[in-house]
Amino acid sequence: MSKVSSLAEALSIVKDGTHLALTGFAITRSAVAAAAELIRGGRRGLTLTQVVGGLETDLLVGSGCVDRLIYSGGSLDRFGPLHSVNRAISAGLAAEEYSTLSLTLRLLAGSLGLPFLPTRSLIGSQLLERLIPSGGAAMITDPFSGSPVLAVSAVRPDVAIVHADVCDEQGNASVSGPLWSIKETAMASARVIVTAERVVPLGGIDPDRVTVPGTVVAGVAEVPGGARPTAVYGAYDYDAALLTEYVAASREGGETFARFVAARFLAEAVA
Amino acid sequence: MAGHPWTPGEMMAVAAASRLRDDDVAMVGLGLPQIAALLAQRTTAPGIQLLLELGVFMPRPVEPAMGIADPRMWKDAWSFGGVLDALGAMLHGGRVTLGILGALQVDPSGSLNTTLVRGDDGSVRRFNGSGGGNDIASLAGRVFVVMRHDPRKFRPAVEFLTSPGRILNGRPRGEAGLPGGGTAAVITDRAIIEISDTGAVLASVHPGETPEAVLASTPMPLIVPAGGPGETPEPTGAQRALLREELDPKGWYLG
Repeated sequence: MSKVSSLAEALSIVKDGTHLALTGFAITRSAVAAAAELIRGGRRGLTLTQVVGGLETDLLVGSGCVDRLIYSGGSLDRFGPLHSVNRAISAGLAAEEYSTLSLTLRLLAGSLGLPFLPTRSLIGSQLLERLIPSGGAAMITDPFSGSPVLAVSAVRPDVAIVHADVCDEQGNASVSGPLWSIKETAMASARVIVTAERVVPLGGIDPDRVTVPGTVVAGVAEVPGGARPTAVYGAYDYDAALLTEYVAASREGGETFARFVAARFLAEAVA
Repeated sequence: MAGHPWTPGEMMAVAAASRLRDDDVAMVGLGLPQIAALLAQRTTAPGIQLLLELGVFMPRPVEPAMGIADPRMWKDAWSFGGVLDALGAMLHGGRVTLGILGALQVDPSGSLNTTLVRGDDGSVRRFNGSGGGNDIASLAGRVFVVMRHDPRKFRPAVEFLTSPGRILNGRPRGEAGLPGGGTAAVITDRAIIEISDTGAVLASVHPGETPEAVLASTPMPLIVPAGGPGETPEPTGAQRALLREELDPKGWYLG
């Protein structure tokens, strides 16, 4: 049976309070259409794990959908910072901040069913000082050499969203260009939703080109332009004008931001 | 530095690029670090290998990019992988000899703050955080910090320790379990400050600067070598032309 449905149907497994994982990176491959649909649907109380935050992170946090954020920082590259995220953290949003590698290792541990993975990153930082009480990291002793090493705990989100170039009707999804932590995030999550520029019949994608195997994918929605105004490698560039407007509106926050998001991201329901 | 033909950004990029080695494997952050690495690649260190944390090996961009997540920056790369390839097997695996990072604040041990600054009224202003910055500072063979010489950026101790320098709690960082060498130099638009295990050293001042003026603008302990600091070579016309015409024609990073 095909896993293809409308975006709203595919996202129906994301409930209030779901631990959601996203896979965009700053201004590239952000699941913007999916984030807009979640905002439209009024989702609340999400825990959001994302290795590097970007536009969709800022949209969801700025729209009040997120109660807890697990990330390693983020930005809109030179367009500007994640104003909504930074403001929410200053106002008390629960945020756990890792580094790119250490959070990817938490997801890798989750994907492998391991309790933790060791790393030599983060040691001696104030990031780590704050993470130890959260249960995300602990200094341990290497049982072989006796030297100190950091353990980062496994994280297993409920649902991951991946925006792919092309996906077949069983969820075999192909992502081109650099892959940052897309695979680890998808494989760590209990279920995966793929939004894709294009959906093809099963067999329509060379197995060599499959990034996320359909066996872990719960739902597929065809959403051409689903990452706009961020870029998708080989498909489209970022929309510099809209990102610039976004930074200005998110810097203002409040009603200005809400009106801007409603007008530019929520007005046009995606099929 | 009125009266000089170069901008502070150009001076900083050239001073940083001159310290990169032909056999370096370098992981670079967004902004001026990118520009400095690309300048070295096009001039004195053609063999340098560049990596981006999101899994880009040897990008050779021909247009200025908005950052490491701008696909322009990935142009003509040798290969694509993921974070586990770039920050994992390459950096954590000990193959990255050099990291080039920006920072909000630095201290005499080369510890970096990229997370937040506090206002005089106690308010907190948050910035981009770590991304791969902490990983690079923790794990790279050595680290160069490239940043503007703003007195507010030099601190006896950083306001938030995002990424560790050479000394932690008064002890060499290796004792805490950190493998990389830590910050080797802070390169600004006015001077080059070398970071050693015994403190920060004013290694050279840029043309037109005096050691006294630089010291007055650097409110953290700074050692002046016997015989005084050297003078950084000035940017050549060829370096400036390459920066201006090809690497940053819109002046996004060079000012």
